[in-house]
Amino acid sequence: MTAVFAVSAPVHAQNGKVVYNKWCAGCHGDAGAGDGYGSKAMLPHPRDFTKGVYKIRTTASGEIPTDDDLRHIIEVGMPGTAMPEWKSRLSAGEIGAVIEYIKSFSPSSFKDTKAKVIAIGNAPSGSGIDEGKAVFQKLECSKCHGMAGRSDGKSAPTLKDDYGNPIRPADLTENWKFRGGSSVQAIYTRLRTGLDGTPMPSFQDAIDNKLITDEQLWRVAQYVHSLSPEKAPESREVIRAARSASALPTSPDAPAWQNVERFWVPLVGQIIAKPRWFAPTVDGVWVQALHDGTKLVLRVAWDDPSKSPDPVWDEFLGRMSKTLTDVDGPLATQQGPDRLVVQWAQHPNDESKRPYFLGGDAKMPVYVWRWTSEPRLEEGTETGIAKFTALPNGRVTQAAKYVDGQWQVVFTRPLESSDTTQVPRFNAGHAIPVAFFAADGSSGEDEIRGAVSTWYMVYLDVPTPKRVFVAPIAMIALSAGLGMLLVTRAQRRVENGGSAADSSHTEER
Amino acid sequence: MTRLRFVLRHPFWQGVILLVVAYLAFTIGVQYVPPLFGVSSAPVPHSVVLQYMFIAVIGVLIFVSSDELRWRTFKEPLYATLVDRDKRWLRMGLLVAVPVLLGFETYQQARPRVDAPIELRSIHPAPPGQISFRGKTIQLSGLENPLRKAGAMADHLREGRRVYYQNCIACHGDHLDGQGHFAHGFSPSPANFSDNGTIAQLTESYVFWRVAKGGPGLPREGTPWNSAMPVWENYLTEDEIWSVVMFLYDQTGVQPRRWEASPEEQKNPTGTKQPTTSTGGPK
Repeated sequence: MTAVFAVSAPVHAQNGKVVYNKWCAGCHGDAGAGDGYGSKAMLPHPRDFTKGVYKIRTTASGEIPTDDDLRHIIEVGMPGTAMPEWKSRLSAGEIGAVIEYIKSFSPSSFKDTKAKVIAIGNAPSGSGIDEGKAVFQKLECSKCHGMAGRSDGKSAPTLKDDYGNPIRPADLTENWKFRGGSSVQAIYTRLRTGLDGTPMPSFQDAIDNKLITDEQLWRVAQYVHSLSPEKAPESREVIRAARSASALPTSPDAPAWQNVERFWVPLVGQIIAKPRWFAPTVDGVWVQALHDGTKLVLRVAWDDPSKSPDPVWDEFLGRMSKTLTDVDGPLATQQGPDRLVVQWAQHPNDESKRPYFLGGDAKMPVYVWRWTSEPRLEEGTETGIAKFTALPNGRVTQAAKYVDGQWQVVFTRPLESSDTTQVPRFNAGHAIPVAFFAADGSSGEDEIRGAVSTWYMVYLDVPTPKRVFVAPIAMIALSAGLGMLLVTRAQRRVENGGSAADSSHTEER
Repeated sequence: MTRLRFVLRHPFWQGVILLVVAYLAFTIGVQYVPPLFGVSSAPVPHSVVLQYMFIAVIGVLIFVSSDELRWRTFKEPLYATLVDRDKRWLRMGLLVAVPVLLGFETYQQARPRVDAPIELRSIHPAPPGQISFRGKTIQLSGLENPLRKAGAMADHLREGRRVYYQNCIACHGDHLDGQGHFAHGFSPSPANFSDNGTIAQLTESYVFWRVAKGGPGLPREGTPWNSAMPVWENYLTEDEIWSVVMFLYDQTGVQPRRWEASPEEQKNPTGTKQPTTSTGGPK
């Protein structure tokens, strides 16, 4: 019996091995070196457990994590990476066993030292976003994270992790992808502990050396938190193009865009056609659309930390080609431009003629606007991804701006078209299938390697038909009239001497 | 107490309570009760709730009118509301509230909606009898996973694991639940293999066909234009596909659907044979 009760760490680790081999080894490798089958195509690569170095901790910089730190990451996963949550799959006992097994890959790290959680106080009362912004600048956070937090700082192209792999600073405007969580407290904790193994330092020193106060670091966390939308954006299938009575805004920074609804279209790696691409730079585009009955304007904005091509990013491209070697061939050695392809179905009203979402095919082509940062805009058709034929007499125009790590492009085109076999009719009142492709030249992306979406719909608003207002009024009048009639009839019956119980003629409905 | 008993026994209030309970069951019950038992659920669309409520109202009317006395008692409070002097305010309130409510509902129905057209998609379209795999003809009907009869299972599963983690995980995910880190970018969502409605209902040859031909190889009813499933015959060998199919069943712990083994049908080359579940009788 004693043997049963004395469940020692090695026994735990033995059970942990079974779970680990089934669910973890595919990415983290049989020996925990972060070199499993899936690792090569993932960026960031899976954690190498043999070094005992962990990003997300509650312990001081350079220290090992606590068991609870490891448990937390296993339970909730790492947003923005391939690491999912495991709480729904593994029991608490299994997770505990896996933790012991993971630690056994780096016995020297975990042997003597007892992990010590640093004391995290409470957030100071009130909000100090302006002060946080000032301290953010003082600590030179923007050197990597950029002035607007979109990971386009001057040093961003030079960053690498402890293994020499290219690494990007977090895009602070997308906190739903923060690896350690998006709350102010989680951000503050990362600022205190740093992300070991990455260039992200701990700012404990800055407090110890009296450069800033602890309260000021909390203000930085509040400021960083404020850079993202309140909630992670949800993608909706239909992108609404409202009908505008005033002149359409045709420049990307026209103030009118601030009042136009934004739609988030998530993009993911193009992993369908050769060569596939598992590490896309662009993770989504913000789309806004308006029309005035004769013209359509479409504003597409997306975060891209480099205005490609840019020689300072050569070093980064070199690291990308070194670490993402064996997936469908080598990367380009030269940086190409940044790209955006807006793709439309040619026959939007014919459900049976919807083309394949990835550039159509020979039988059913798609109609596309191909934009590059050169800058250049081509209008034409595709019969498969990047199989492009230009159309004569293109009618689309563009205006683009690159601001603090974000491309903003406005496309304008007339709704009517002379060639309705190749170009869709942009009719109001109909849903027109649209899809997006975006590529960042500085990280080796090109016409095929990039980020894609499946079909979405652009719906051009029609003026509200009169019946929308007439029908409810008619309904109210009719039902009120019937009700009055019912009441007066019933009351007349009572006056004429009928009794309440004798109501067999009264219809209630 | 007596008042409560009166209310509970009165057909009018019984009807009202029934309708309220029905409404709560359609809106809240359907969405939240099955998850308590581990069954996934979703909210019922507004239009469907309206239809169900219409049926519930008819049911209640049939119930109260099925008995003469009950029908009369049922009508009393309605009639009283129409004529009683002391119910004047209630009467006027209803005369305003009911038309306004109906008007609002009419507006909801009539207002222009920005909806995508509904796409009808067959989840498991019928497979062809045979396919051409890299120029070689493969008879799908009656086909079992050839790797189950050759070589060591452990080797096949290791190979399947490699293929899965190198190619499939980005969409179908670590849990094989169709929730990989790229899944949110694709519509329709990648297949969830741990759901009983997917590979557990299919033969391995069917899964082989879907993997080999991907989205572009779907028949029309499967809306090929939206599926992001690649054509894996461009990347993987026949054995690699069979091994990853085997891995899917092993990792999720479900059994493939088996072909019914009957000699006459095995000779039938036209591919009309039906797969059968282990519990189902002969077809």
